[in-house]
Amino acid sequence: MAKRPKVAAIATVYHKYSHAQHIVDRFLEGYGWNSRHHRPPMDLVSLYVDQVNPENDLSPDRARRFPQMKIYPTIADALTLGTSSLAVDGVVLVGEHGNYQTNAKGQRLYPRYEFFKQICAVYRQSGRSAPVFNDKHLSWNWAWSKEMYDLSKELGFGFMAGSSLPVTWRTPALDLPWGAQVEEGMCVGYGGVDSYDFHALETLQCMVERRQGGESGVKWLQAYRGDNFWKAHHERLWSRELFEAGLSRSHTIAPGRAGFNDTFPTIDELKQLVKDPIAYQYEHGDGLKSTMVLLNGLIQDFNFAGRIKGQAEPFSTQMYLPMPPARTSLANFFTPQVNHIESLILTGKSPYPVERTLLTSGLVEAGVDSLHQEQKRIETPHLKVEYTAPKESTFWRT
Amino acid sequence: MDYTQQKRIAVIATVYTYLSHAQHFADRFVVGYPYGGHWVRPNTPIVSLYVDQKPAGDQSVDRAREFGFSVYPTIAEALRCGGDKLAVDAVLIIGEHGSYPKNEKGQIQYPRYEFFKECVKVFEQDGRAVPVYNDKHLSYSFAKAKEMVDDAHRLKFPLLAGSSLPVTWRLPDLELPLGCQIEEALMVGVGGSDAMDYHALEAMQCMIERRKGGETGVQSVQLIQGDEVWKAGEDGRWSKELLEAALSRSDSPQGKTIEDGRTQDLLGNGELPGLVKEPAAYFIERNDGLRTTLLMLNGAVGDYCFAAKLKGQELPVSNQFFLTPVPNVTYSACLVEKIVEMIYTGKAPFPAERTLIVNGALDSCLDSKVQGNKKLETPHLKVVYQAPAESQHARF
Repeated sequence: MAKRPKVAAIATVYHKYSHAQHIVDRFLEGYGWNSRHHRPPMDLVSLYVDQVNPENDLSPDRARRFPQMKIYPTIADALTLGTSSLAVDGVVLVGEHGNYQTNAKGQRLYPRYEFFKQICAVYRQSGRSAPVFNDKHLSWNWAWSKEMYDLSKELGFGFMAGSSLPVTWRTPALDLPWGAQVEEGMCVGYGGVDSYDFHALETLQCMVERRQGGESGVKWLQAYRGDNFWKAHHERLWSRELFEAGLSRSHTIAPGRAGFNDTFPTIDELKQLVKDPIAYQYEHGDGLKSTMVLLNGLIQDFNFAGRIKGQAEPFSTQMYLPMPPARTSLANFFTPQVNHIESLILTGKSPYPVERTLLTSGLVEAGVDSLHQEQKRIETPHLKVEYTAPKESTFWRT
Repeated sequence: MDYTQQKRIAVIATVYTYLSHAQHFADRFVVGYPYGGHWVRPNTPIVSLYVDQKPAGDQSVDRAREFGFSVYPTIAEALRCGGDKLAVDAVLIIGEHGSYPKNEKGQIQYPRYEFFKECVKVFEQDGRAVPVYNDKHLSYSFAKAKEMVDDAHRLKFPLLAGSSLPVTWRLPDLELPLGCQIEEALMVGVGGSDAMDYHALEAMQCMIERRKGGETGVQSVQLIQGDEVWKAGEDGRWSKELLEAALSRSDSPQGKTIEDGRTQDLLGNGELPGLVKEPAAYFIERNDGLRTTLLMLNGAVGDYCFAAKLKGQELPVSNQFFLTPVPNVTYSACLVEKIVEMIYTGKAPFPAERTLIVNGALDSCLDSKVQGNKKLETPHLKVVYQAPAESQHARF
């Protein structure tokens, strides 16, 4: 590519601290990277915003301050820049936040699939495609997620997706040894169903996918909530050692007692602090069991712990989110993600496999389904998603 | 290292209230702390406590009752556990927080030196000395701080001192190569003097002490304030390239970011002078010629970031010293781990000279401040030491 690539951004909303603001702003304003204020070597030239609330929408301000970026009324126009065929070299699809309906299972029906289909329609019509980044999971609906994945293969464009958890800082800055024999994996995190569970699943997946043999897909998933969670915890359906290792990586354990600032919770304190514990446990095709735990009320970070064959101690780390507004003013976990998007657009290839997010998209849906069906085990033959993780680490280290 | 042997701890504190340094540090010895992926429960019970002041919210009595130790009316009695001989294996001096007077240089006159000298008196009388941890800088006065370090050498007990910043997580996990050649270093800090400027200076010190030849001491200092700080940048007295590098590590730019969440090139967009009403630059020149600068930029950012230019490298290196969230402040657990290491090995993991030189540089910078911001030669700050080869910050 001799000229600077052109990029289109397709967003649900664009207000302060929306995902679109975090991501698109980094293209427009630049961001701190490798001891510089880095300015992406490409131009974000078009923006489509699905829902505009005049009270908080930032897109007019951004269009005014960055005249190279125009706001278009349709996704097709944003991709063609108002002409009749594709006129950009990359598309950033941010379908997070905004006022969208929820279904009976409690899933928010963000129109990522619908947006993606419109993007692909332009690609077909133009006889040309461009790389796409899709923020967070692909779709709330497995069939649609799979169709998005299949379309990217059919039309032959680089497709990158997912959470910023896999790429943000880690404390410690360690990656699971590539090719390790992982005996069990766990993420201890926080947040809600059909929202932060996805981040926790990506946290878990970006680590266990590095195991010997690579990712083999998931056979079944079962959710545990409330009393069922405590019963499973008591019966050690998941490793107590990994649970404690994960918690020991947290920077935010809520003190179980007044007057103390940092204590390890007793089981009674755990039950008092965590009113609605949730776990998704699932078995991979090769027999590995992974467990995602959401401990609202106890912690506010995402921590991974895994047992590696032949190692006496669990392997553990925290995927650190500098989360505004309480701790920071910038959600800088979007920084390495945007840097990877630049790489996607420059090389046409995703720096890490979109299959990770295809799988976690299906796992979120399976988790929601299990919770919706009295926490029964959900067989997931459709989640036979096989892939190999890149050996080189892709989290923020420099 | 064999940690099975129990080590008895005396805590000498100014106050013991919720979120005081004494509470942060002493509590970890009785309830444990997170480190290395474990909840560490050290075999180091607190057996005695002295608190200088008991303001509202004092926790000393409750803690003593719950964890089975005694509160003594004097430091000597605490060290002897009420008996007639030194009866502890280590002493923690935590002279931070509490109501103490400020001097004309703005230094809070915490009685760390006085506490330390009480301990030394017991060590001398009883013919035995034990490891001492001194929280934060040794004393507001360099002369007193120097005497403390000299006492430790004379009586041959390990002395660990300082801030949590050198041992906390770094974003990214940057350590300068031992023996590297540094062309210039810059630190950005925030907060008040003489509390937070001290932390920032020690964070810078733990990085630059690894340079070729080790630390050679401070030749001169100057503290300037206000518009002179920006002018000094224009004149090249501090490096804009390094300020850009340090700011690139901040997670908390203020101003427009607070308004609408945007990222900012705070140096390039010209917002800095508007955001920072009272900037201060601490120029500290070393005996080997290295120029180091601390910029206190209240109003611009909320975190502590370092940058340095290494010889032969095109881009600066930089990192944020990660102050983990309140109330847990797990960064202090990183320092407690070092205290425990000292207690068991009998050796401070890093030299108290690091804190001593920062102590002296800060003391002299504040002299410069009250003497019309003039440059001061500092022949007394010839503190020479070598950094430990092994990294001591949180990495695993």
